[in-house]
Amino acid sequence: MPYQPIPLTNMPPDGHATSPTNPAAQSHAGAGAGAGVTINADTSAETSDPLATKTAVDSLYIHVPFCFHKCHYCDFYSIVDTQQRQARFADALICELTQLADQYLLQPTTIFAGGGTPTLLEPIHWQRFLRVAQTLGILNRIHEFTVEANPETVTDELAHILATGGVNRISIGAQSFNPTLLKTLERWHEPANVQRSMTRLRNAGINNINLDLIFGIPGQTLDNLADDIDRALALQPTHLSCYSLTFEPKTALTARRDRGEIQPIDTGIDRDMYAYLLDRLDDAGYDHYEISAWSKRPPPHPPTHSPTLYPHATPAHVTSPTLPLAATCVLDTNNTRPPIDYRCQHNLAYWRNQNWLGIGPGAASHINNQRWKNLPHLARYIDTSPTPARIDHEHLTHAEQQSELLMMGLRLRDGIAIEPAQFPTHTQQEIQRYITVKMLEYHHNRLRFTREGLFVADCILADLIPS
Amino acid sequence: MSHTHIRNFCIIAHIDHGKSTLADRMLQGTGAMDDRNRREQTLDDMELERERGITIKASAVSVEHVYNGQNYELNFIDTPGHVDFHYEVSRALAACEGAILVVDATQGVEAQTVANLYKAVDADLELIPVINKIDLPSAQPEDRALQVEQILGLDAADCIFTSAKTGQGVVELLDAICERFSEPKGNPEAKTQALIFDAKYDDYRGVVVYFRLINGRLKKGDRIRMMRIGRTYHVTELGKFRPKMTAMSEPMEAGDVGYMVAAIKTLDDVNIGDTITLDTDPASEALPGYQEPMPMVYCDFYPSGDTEFDELREAVARLHINDASYTYEPTSSEALGSGFRCGFLGMLHMDIIQERLERESNVSLVQTAPTVTYEIELRGRVDDLPGSVAGSGTGKHKTIQITNPADLPDPSTILHINEPIVEAEIITPTSSIGDIMKLCEQRRGIYKSQKFLSDDRQILEYDLPLAEIIYDFFDKLKSITSGYGTVDYQLKGFKTDNLVRMDILVNGSKVDALSVIVHRDKAEFRGRLLLKKLKEQIDRHLFEIPLQAAIGGKIIARETIKSVGKNVTAKCYGGDVSRKRKLLEKQKKGKERMKRIGTVDIPQKAFMAVLDTSE
Ligand SMILES: Nc1nc2c(ncn2[C@@H]2O[C@H](COP(=O)(O)OP(=O)(O)OP(=O)(O)O)[C@@H](O)[C@H]2O)c(=O)[nH]1
Ligand code: SF4
Ligand SMILES: [Mg+2]
Repeated sequence: MPYQPIPLTNMPPDGHATSPTNPAAQSHAGAGAGAGVTINADTSAETSDPLATKTAVDSLYIHVPFCFHKCHYCDFYSIVDTQQRQARFADALICELTQLADQYLLQPTTIFAGGGTPTLLEPIHWQRFLRVAQTLGILNRIHEFTVEANPETVTDELAHILATGGVNRISIGAQSFNPTLLKTLERWHEPANVQRSMTRLRNAGINNINLDLIFGIPGQTLDNLADDIDRALALQPTHLSCYSLTFEPKTALTARRDRGEIQPIDTGIDRDMYAYLLDRLDDAGYDHYEISAWSKRPPPHPPTHSPTLYPHATPAHVTSPTLPLAATCVLDTNNTRPPIDYRCQHNLAYWRNQNWLGIGPGAASHINNQRWKNLPHLARYIDTSPTPARIDHEHLTHAEQQSELLMMGLRLRDGIAIEPAQFPTHTQQEIQRYITVKMLEYHHNRLRFTREGLFVADCILADLIPS
Repeated sequence: MSHTHIRNFCIIAHIDHGKSTLADRMLQGTGAMDDRNRREQTLDDMELERERGITIKASAVSVEHVYNGQNYELNFIDTPGHVDFHYEVSRALAACEGAILVVDATQGVEAQTVANLYKAVDADLELIPVINKIDLPSAQPEDRALQVEQILGLDAADCIFTSAKTGQGVVELLDAICERFSEPKGNPEAKTQALIFDAKYDDYRGVVVYFRLINGRLKKGDRIRMMRIGRTYHVTELGKFRPKMTAMSEPMEAGDVGYMVAAIKTLDDVNIGDTITLDTDPASEALPGYQEPMPMVYCDFYPSGDTEFDELREAVARLHINDASYTYEPTSSEALGSGFRCGFLGMLHMDIIQERLERESNVSLVQTAPTVTYEIELRGRVDDLPGSVAGSGTGKHKTIQITNPADLPDPSTILHINEPIVEAEIITPTSSIGDIMKLCEQRRGIYKSQKFLSDDRQILEYDLPLAEIIYDFFDKLKSITSGYGTVDYQLKGFKTDNLVRMDILVNGSKVDALSVIVHRDKAEFRGRLLLKKLKEQIDRHLFEIPLQAAIGGKIIARETIKSVGKNVTAKCYGGDVSRKRKLLEKQKKGKERMKRIGTVDIPQKAFMAVLDTSE
């Protein structure tokens, strides 16, 4: 079917976004000074400013539950839809968004569409959704808008619609370039399509591209991993996420392991692989900024022409292929050299425990120390639109907040700026103990894991968290 | 009721032969329990008894039965069958004239059938043999009756055949009780003497005393005296077990079994086996009472998790009110801090006390491996050494008793280490004789005799070191005999052997709570095995942990626990936070239940691994 552009409101006829020059967004970013925080969520609820009575949301997550096949390691809520429910799902998603935009101060700085396979949602529905988001003003202050993609599902048409609708970052699930290992994972895609997808996205103007890789796959060797990394680096992504394979409960992979059909790799090898990644990716010019995340290191000198502050999708013809545009440019504190920051700003919001809302079935939210999830059930989600049933509601106690601060914040290589005295004595003692054995350290006054500590982060965290 | 129409008896048997179920049918048959409230093993009212399906404490009950047109009052005590609770049986016997000896029609006479029968005979009781479970397809009632005659020397013709499941034979049994058991001995006109056979603490009423009135009378309002301690009390309530405690206004007289409440606030005032008399008209002598139970095994309890020592102290003292058969005294360990050294009648008893402490007082514990008492004869003549002589050593040397391997004095001062020996009677199918003999020899047993019970069953008698049988001997016996072998034992005395203390070093430092006393010839083997077990129990840490077994500074075995290579959550995004936090909390809880010794977290089970001799 030929591509029929649907003109969006507030968009020039050529379909390019206009919001990068939004003055409100600019003045805000100046004040945000690096953290990417908009309005202080904690005070916004109590302040007397009438405009701030609604809770401000830093980030928005969108869950698209469709996949064309269930990968064996996957524990996300996703289904293979046999009933053509895409239109009804998109309607429900739009309604939920509209409803929340009324309830919250919903002008996030980051959006992340995950799944499932968001790129399986037909372009027409993406277009409808993006148009509504635009109309509601939800894209006004966006720094980063990521969509997850399966390499099999990226078409020129979709790339174009996403780019013109405000999406400026894509995360591609490459997992491995080795067909045998992909088969072990029952991950169905053609490795060569990773590169094809990237070319299409770049042509459409999206240059900020992450590749997801999995290591520690049964049967994988260190050489196999080196091979995967070489192939990934050759594609020049701006970001790499490398996950050690986790046997999640109730997945097909775990069942196969329990039946003895596959043998998890030895923890010693898993450790060697992680150590290899730490060295190899650093050499290749990627900064390790979170346990499983690496971002392309900014060039030593700022580019001669100043990067656009909030580069939304830029038409392909103005993009230099050798100089990918930054997804987000956060200003230095002293405001002189704005380095390009390829870290995933949306994920940083999670690790910093900011306020985020999730829409779609199974999506989780975290607002002012409350957590909940939408019921992971597509049919019910559609039926109960626009107010999906929520489950797992939690109001975090002080101790739980502290646990999460440690658990999430210490994932970052920057660590966390904490005042140990805020924590129970037990936690303080354990921090001290792990500093003594060189598993934790203070670096620029922030507590973080040492390289040695990273490998056993969970063991350490279990000792640190308040009970 | 005239005491010519009272019958006091208890139900005794090997474990699981159906005592408590038979008690249910007797309660039902006499209308003391209506069908509406019917449940299995009514008298097993402790939570643990119901969960494990065994009787732990003897319980008393009174019912009425019409026989030959006349009303009889039957007071009976259901007893536990397990070897650890022999003491409970002895206490019950002293309050009765008769005993019903129950034999499972499928299993026949077993080790505790024999042991309990001897006890009843020693206490001069009349006996009614009952062959139970005759409803089962595999029942062999006639054959079992014959066993009763041949092995136990009771007349086969006297056997009553019952099914505690269907109720068959229960009325005949009740009739036989009225007919064959004598009326209570004792004289209502004599001075009052009541035997205290049990007691229980009640938050509202204080101590409730269970007694059997041997002579004289008692009524509400009487001023009574506990003869051993000399304190006096005012009886505010007197009653019987029907089967719930039911207050009565009429006086009780010799032969009656009941309970009393007398505003007794401290449990120390009530001694099981003490005699109650009237303060105004006291008896001249107390009844003989009971022999103090002798602990067979000892272990330490230490507080763990967020339990404090004081909470543990309170819990231990409180439970002791309900079960005086365990002993406790404060102790301390370099590795584990302050705790209590407790003595038990056996391993099951120990298990039960540990579980009751944790449940009823909500404390968390670390329990060390059970050990027996050792007698240590020290060098030098008695006259040369200060202090008193204890124990049954050769007499010329100073002897001390220890119940904790860590207390063993410097080896150079030790002349002999003596260990407790038991006389064990093993009843087994003939086909397993060879394997059982092999087992007993492995356990340093000394063969005594072999007797034929029937064509396919025999009794083997061995002298065995108590230390060799407390842990897994029963399990081994059961598995060798496919469940048909049983054992009963009693303490015989102490005997010298070539025993040494083996110390365990974790990460280079000695953990006193893991020390064991072992036979020198078996030390290497035990050491290797023990370290292997420890290695399975202790989680990997962030560093490598060497484990060593040593005798007097000489390392005889070693193992290494590798360090954690990698343990880090790969993915943690918005939807994962709660679940990952809970996983961490669980990981933390797991660690909290362990005891940190130096830098190593040792789980409770590791302290028990010391005793596990299975390969
Ligand atoms: N079929 C059948 N089962 C019986 C009979 N009597 C008891 N049982 C079963 O045998 C098991 C043991 O019965 P209990 O009454 O608890 O035995 P016990 O002698 O009191 O056991 P301890 O107090 O632990 O020594 C239970 O599962 C009963 O249901 C019977 O006459 N017939
Ligand atoms: S494509 Fe992604 S969401 Fe879908 S099944 Fe595979 S891993 Fe899961
Ligand atoms: Mg019983």
